[in-house]
Amino acid sequence: MKLTVIKSVLALALLASLVAGCDSSATTSTSSVAIDEIKGEETAVLTDAPNVPPPITRKHATKVIVNLDVVEKVMKIADSTEYTFWTFGGSVPGKFIRVREGDLVDFTLKNLPDSKLPHNIDLHAVNGPGGGAEATLVAPGQSARFQFKALNPGLYVYHCATGPVGMHIANGMYGLIMVEPKEGMSKVDKEFYVMQGDFYTKGKYEAPGLQEFDQDKAIQENPDYVLFNGRVRANTGANAMQAKTGENVRLFVGNGGPNLTSSFHVIGEVFDKVYVEGGDLINENVQTTVVPAGGSSIVEMKLQVPGMLNIVDHALYRTFHKGALAQIKVSGDENPEVFNKIKTQK
Amino acid sequence: MKYFLTILLLTVFSGLAQAQEKAVIADKKMVTVAAGIYKPFFETNDSRPLMVAAFKMDECAVTNAEFLEFVKANPAWRRSKVNRLFADSNYLKHWESDLSIGKINANIYHSPVVNVSWFAAQAYCKWKNKRLPTIAEWELAGNGKPRNIKYTSLTEYILGWYKKPNPPVLPNVKTTYQNQYGLYDMHGLVWEWTFNFNSFTSKADSRGSTEDEAKAFCAAGSVKVKDKNDYAGFLRFSYRGSLKGNYCIPNLGFRCAKDIP
Repeated sequence: MKLTVIKSVLALALLASLVAGCDSSATTSTSSVAIDEIKGEETAVLTDAPNVPPPITRKHATKVIVNLDVVEKVMKIADSTEYTFWTFGGSVPGKFIRVREGDLVDFTLKNLPDSKLPHNIDLHAVNGPGGGAEATLVAPGQSARFQFKALNPGLYVYHCATGPVGMHIANGMYGLIMVEPKEGMSKVDKEFYVMQGDFYTKGKYEAPGLQEFDQDKAIQENPDYVLFNGRVRANTGANAMQAKTGENVRLFVGNGGPNLTSSFHVIGEVFDKVYVEGGDLINENVQTTVVPAGGSSIVEMKLQVPGMLNIVDHALYRTFHKGALAQIKVSGDENPEVFNKIKTQK
Repeated sequence: MKYFLTILLLTVFSGLAQAQEKAVIADKKMVTVAAGIYKPFFETNDSRPLMVAAFKMDECAVTNAEFLEFVKANPAWRRSKVNRLFADSNYLKHWESDLSIGKINANIYHSPVVNVSWFAAQAYCKWKNKRLPTIAEWELAGNGKPRNIKYTSLTEYILGWYKKPNPPVLPNVKTTYQNQYGLYDMHGLVWEWTFNFNSFTSKADSRGSTEDEAKAFCAAGSVKVKDKNDYAGFLRFSYRGSLKGNYCIPNLGFRCAKDIP
């Protein structure tokens, strides 16, 4: 009997040393992660579109506390049309979260007591089960907390992943989290948050009154609305984003879907830089960039001449008939060297 | 003489109170749900169509007034005394105090009691010599055809309710529709506890790491799904999956069931 015990202890020790061996060889590739010592803690500044939290100036990793509430509420989807949105933080898209590569994110998701349904969150920036969804399924009135290390820099979509997932997303449950690279991002003059989503209602586009979600249309991928920032004319006219000529503007672009891929385009400006799919790869001089459902893109452009820039999904029926339009109002002096309208002689 | 009168009066009043209490108990009408087959929202090895024997079910959800009687009779279930393992800090939080729903809450005496845990609900049912209905029983009962409302499809009706945020004041029981079994408000008033609410776990991500969850998540394309468009069933499934036995939630109540001997 004793012998068996000793034998098994030996076997365990051998096994442990083997495992340790595996570990030490494996850690070399992830040693950069271990180096990031977490210093201090701070609460994340969260913003509603089209606003973006300020760039991160920290040169070290920290513990970032994120508190996000799930709110189910009736809001306007068009001037005389209402819709019951399910939101992260009370608006669509959800709050913009900004952290730094190496940060330890301490995330609390609270489902407000007035909610009808349970919700959770899957952040595409998370390396772990369900992107956090498994750890955060919360019934109304409950909250859930988990921590993750922001290992990969980039712009990531987050969304609700409670079944039926498509329906939760179709009701507006998505947003963006930016994980800034350690070296920071290049300095620009203005940053904005623009997120596309498709919506399916019983009534037609802009039919008045409170409109319900239409699951048949969602299954057929036939939306009544394709919107930037959750509402027809959310950022047009008086609510247009504001910038000046000569400024470098960065757009954090996301697409919540649930179904459509965006052909993201700004009429009258070339993207000087595109962080393809929100990652490290930079493409230059791009006219239209693809933003897949559940994906993102970062675009930068130097504004050359004054006027109204129209942001569209270049699958243009979505813009002209389903609401996919946002605007940047560019003020400043004319720049005839770049653009000059020639008066025809009569 | 005075004393005698007082005692007499007291006896009469307490007798009346008891009679009232009994009246409440006797009042809860139960109806019979005929035997039938419960078809789960989707089928897996662990979740197959089930034969459900005929059973009795409360015709409507248990109300605040009824639950107050239970709390009076069972001090361990008073708000200030309840064990946190059996009911979280939201237990009966909408009441004025341990033994009073409160005058400002007069309009919810006959609304379904909410903010009650599974343990509390089960204890109430046991006190009435009843039990909570199983998921299979509840779903079978819930599928009963509405009698007194116009509707295009039950799923649409249910989804209409799911999509509305909670009303500021919960309406009384028996204010929605009555179904073929004589049951009131199976959909449209509150969510209801079931005996085995967590027997099918989707406690996690509903896209699932277990085989069952994976199948549920792939519902849209899975041949195993009974009805690909049963989004209402899907939502109840995910709601139940988010619960723990001690949770007390503002839109979650219950009704009791009983075997037919």
